[in-house]
Amino acid sequence: MSVPDYMQCAEDHQTVLVVVQPVGIVPEDQFFRIYKRIASVAQVSIRDSQRNLYIRYRHHYLPENNDWGDFQTHRKVVGLICVTTCGSGKEWPQTSERFHGQKEVFGATLYDSRLLVFGLQGEIAEQQRTDVAFYPSYDDCPDVEKKVEDFVESIFIVLESKRLDRATDKSGDKIPLLCVPFEKKDFVGLDTDSRHYKKRCQGRMRKHVGDLCLQAGMLQDALVHYHMAVELLRSVNDFLWLGAALEGLCSASVIFHYPGGTAGKAAGRNPSAAQGQAADAGKRHRPGALTTNGISADTSSEIGRAKNCLSPEDIIEKYKEAISYYGKYKNAGVIELEACVKAVRVLAIQKRAMEASEFLQNAVYINLGQLSEEEKIQRYSILSELYYLIGFHRKSAFFKRVAAMQCVAPTIPEPGWRACYKLLLETLPGYSLSLDPKDFSKGAHRGWAAVQMRLLHELVYASRRMGNPGLSVRHLSFLLQTMLDFLSDQEKKEVTQSLENYTSKCPGGMEVITLPDGLRLHPVPFTKLPIVRSVKLLDLPVSLRPHKQKGLMENSMSTKSPFIYSPIIMHNRGEERNKKIDFQWVQGDVCEVQLMVYNPMPFELRVENMGLLTSGVEFESLPAALSLPAESGLYPVTLVGVPRTAGNITVNGYHTSVFGVTSDCLLDSLTSVRTSGCLVEVIPSLPRLQLSTSLPRSAHPLQPSKEELSSSVSVQLFNGETQQLTITLENIGSEDLETLEITSKISNTKDGISVTGLPISSPLRQVLKPRAETRPPGSESSKTDYNHVKMLEAVMTFKYSGGAGKVEGYYRDLTLGLHVDVEPSVFFTRVSTLPATSTRQCHLLLDVFNSTEHELTVSAQNNQDLVLHASECQRMAIQVDKFDFDTLPQPDQETVRYTSLKLLEEERLHAQASMINSTLGITWDIPSVRRKGEASVEGVLNQLVLDHLQLAPLQWDVMVNGKPCDCDIIADCKVGDAVPLEVKLTNRSKNTVGPFALTVVPFQDYQNGVQNYDLQDAVTFIGSNTFYIDTVNPSEESLCLGALLFLYSGDFYLNIKFQDDSVGKEPGAGQGKELPLSWFGLPSIHIRAQEAPMEAGA
Amino acid sequence: MAVCIAVIAKENYPLYIRSVPTQNELKFHYTVHTSLDVVEEKISAVGKAMADQRELYLGLLYPTEDYKVYLTDYISVPSPKMFRKLHNSFTDVMCNPFYNPGDTIQSKAFDGMVSAMMVQAS
Repeated sequence: MSVPDYMQCAEDHQTVLVVVQPVGIVPEDQFFRIYKRIASVAQVSIRDSQRNLYIRYRHHYLPENNDWGDFQTHRKVVGLICVTTCGSGKEWPQTSERFHGQKEVFGATLYDSRLLVFGLQGEIAEQQRTDVAFYPSYDDCPDVEKKVEDFVESIFIVLESKRLDRATDKSGDKIPLLCVPFEKKDFVGLDTDSRHYKKRCQGRMRKHVGDLCLQAGMLQDALVHYHMAVELLRSVNDFLWLGAALEGLCSASVIFHYPGGTAGKAAGRNPSAAQGQAADAGKRHRPGALTTNGISADTSSEIGRAKNCLSPEDIIEKYKEAISYYGKYKNAGVIELEACVKAVRVLAIQKRAMEASEFLQNAVYINLGQLSEEEKIQRYSILSELYYLIGFHRKSAFFKRVAAMQCVAPTIPEPGWRACYKLLLETLPGYSLSLDPKDFSKGAHRGWAAVQMRLLHELVYASRRMGNPGLSVRHLSFLLQTMLDFLSDQEKKEVTQSLENYTSKCPGGMEVITLPDGLRLHPVPFTKLPIVRSVKLLDLPVSLRPHKQKGLMENSMSTKSPFIYSPIIMHNRGEERNKKIDFQWVQGDVCEVQLMVYNPMPFELRVENMGLLTSGVEFESLPAALSLPAESGLYPVTLVGVPRTAGNITVNGYHTSVFGVTSDCLLDSLTSVRTSGCLVEVIPSLPRLQLSTSLPRSAHPLQPSKEELSSSVSVQLFNGETQQLTITLENIGSEDLETLEITSKISNTKDGISVTGLPISSPLRQVLKPRAETRPPGSESSKTDYNHVKMLEAVMTFKYSGGAGKVEGYYRDLTLGLHVDVEPSVFFTRVSTLPATSTRQCHLLLDVFNSTEHELTVSAQNNQDLVLHASECQRMAIQVDKFDFDTLPQPDQETVRYTSLKLLEEERLHAQASMINSTLGITWDIPSVRRKGEASVEGVLNQLVLDHLQLAPLQWDVMVNGKPCDCDIIADCKVGDAVPLEVKLTNRSKNTVGPFALTVVPFQDYQNGVQNYDLQDAVTFIGSNTFYIDTVNPSEESLCLGALLFLYSGDFYLNIKFQDDSVGKEPGAGQGKELPLSWFGLPSIHIRAQEAPMEAGA
Repeated sequence: MAVCIAVIAKENYPLYIRSVPTQNELKFHYTVHTSLDVVEEKISAVGKAMADQRELYLGLLYPTEDYKVYLTDYISVPSPKMFRKLHNSFTDVMCNPFYNPGDTIQSKAFDGMVSAMMVQAS
């Protein structure tokens, strides 16, 4: 006996073995249909007794095993049912022959046999035979079960008779010695008359009767017989049979204690019957116990029952003993192994796992000689199953894996990869490995990585050999994703390489793979290739950011909390993710999400087709491909897309394609990803303006970068230079531009730059004109001071809107920063005035300094050009007409009221200075670099100079001989003639002036520094030499007349001296202060008196 | 001779595992892994009986083909000397403020201890 029946359990000892076999040609499926129907008759209640007969059916049984039938009667084939197809009567004899042949095989042990003939009709089928049943077809055989029951009853009758025969067979007849096959040769020539031999015969027979009793449903009898057999066999040291007797005892006790059976659910023996038995187990009458009734002649009584039956603990003890006895015989390996299995099943019921494991451990080492591969697989599988039964899941998994490996052992010509794969899958729970990647997303992986990895590798390999590359890809992806931390660099390389090999044939995807047995393999998103650390939705670039119209601005402040400020920040990640971000995206515009990723692999990682997964809004994702260097640090990756509709968009995750496996990675399942929110509002589309300028763009940010600028230009100018800038706006969006508003703002200096040319015309012209630096002229500073470059900045804002976005009240800002580096050109280091000969004019003296490195020409209106070398300073004199500042426009009342005095004063000064500037028109020109510009004196003018340049409010006109006399005009007169002198005062000031007193003093200038005022003899006044001018009201005139008489010829000068007479009583009491001296700039008068005509006349 | 020493966390995954014949490490992984069934069984059985009077040195788990698997519990001082040393070393590891309970043990001192145990016994 070499093939163990691993499915055996203790209660099988009470069954009778019936073999069901096909004879001739029987279709397999038909046979098994019939076999199943036969096998359903597993328990038959015997009429007239309350005993049950249990039947074990086999469709395959080695006759060799049958030889052990005397040793344990349940191994003996006592019934044979043959199933055959017989098409016609002709075949019948042959079929019958075959049936008999089959009977021969088990002939010695058979109690009865049956032949089920299918397909035969007619004469032969009509005959009534007990051992043959005819059915027209496999589908038309309603009474198969009935026939089988009859058959079983007939077996019972034989069994019962045999039992009675043997049980009562103690009357001195010679008891035959029962043997197992390998014993037969040992007993040759043994003394059959010895007491020892007799006892042995008796003991073995007792044991045999016990078996029969057990099969016949007489449990108590069986127990008694077994006990007696143990006694007898122990005394003669017949260990093999002693073991069998002990095992019989155990079996009977197990049947008594565990009426539900020990096979467990897996064995599936008539479950309804088992349940029924279990239900009334407590009060149930064991068939064997019913001694008062029926044909049973149980020798034991109710009293003896408890004594004879083993306690659960004893059962195990006896099993141990039995197994130890079996172990003495090498040829009884199968018996020993089966006993172990049976004991384990009992222990499993008793929940004594530790002891069970000892039995199993023992079973593992029972050597059954050379096993076929199939037997090995069976053995390992059953070990796995038994370990599972006792709760040793790891052991179970271990053996299952061994069985799986056995399926594909190299010695097997046709490896069963499918079976291997199936078995491997079954080991997963034992290694606490779930194939759902979600179970791995929570924190660090904890488990037996080494063994789990091995198992995954095996799954990959098995599925590949099965010819299911999709499955291998899924398993390999899983391995890579979940075991990444445990893979060595070399392994990482290998795994990814083979993954790429597989995916080249079968790309991995996100679909759930359902295996034939219903196991669902969830997709494995590669959330670790690359690892994403943070996800950040980016605002649009400044120029494209939408703004809400102020008027339409809703209360954007969060009204959730009654507090304006709270230091408590809710650290709730989930909430944070759902939080709406406080900027908007615009429909139709490219929006960006920045991911910080890193590559954990020791080689370059190519990620293809990386894009965003969104919901809420129709979104066109524009996937990117990236390549991350080996074990990179955090790398920013920007994923872009275009929202196609308006609404709220949620970024749910991203998708990638790595090593040919596409993954959808959802942020919800990635707890390690930091994000500041994934929900953002998409507003309806707006036009998009593109700005270009005639000047090159500058990367140079404006100095005070309080606001972000869409673009900026920078230009280098010399002080006073003018540069034209053309700004072109182009609508590159899909919406029409409906409104455009332009404003400009000078950012850092108050009046350093002037932007003129607004409002817009096409093309838009902007004139930039840096002004001279404001520098107090008095401060003498070193020349290097003038060399510093000054920066001027201005911002132009284009506010525009249109399309659907405008309806919603959104607009966009486009800002252009102007950055001007102003290099100094010319400076006026000093300014002063010299009175000109005319009171209406004066000389402006300017010290001009060329601070450039070039030769420079300075020119002013009506003046000669002045050439200045680099860093040269020269004085320039310009004769200018005095200015009448009163013609400047006066600020209106409104402005005056709301502006501070100081400001007004500045305003006035500025207006005056620009008037002077424009009159002077000083320009510079650097021929070598073809640059030219203006030079402003504005900054250097001080009050004194201004006063000098101003026309006095009181205008004095002196007429000699009726001719206006001013400057260098020489009035001619004749000696002896009265020369009329007219002094006219025009009051252009706002106040009434006067009265004044003017005294005319004549003198002679000898041109040598000597002035002679002693001219009483030479000049006589006709009338007074003093004029009195009455009060003159504003814009009125006053005229004084007088006359002079020159007595000698010569050059005379008249000095008109002024006396303020307005407050005559208190002369000089402050009036002079009120009216500045310059107001009284009276022209000096040069008169040449000649005699000649007089002489001629004389 | 000790050929493989493993420290197992209470969630039944290895905190530390090291074996002398490095070429067949996986075999030891399997051996230790399957032994855990017995540990689990023993501990649950003990727990049922009396939680306080646990026999912390669980002794010989079972002999496998080539090796005998012994087991000790780290909660309290175990009996045999070899295990006491191991336990002390383990306690040191646990006392390390930078050690995160549940992480795999990466300690030179513990490594050395284990090596000494393996060498000494061999």
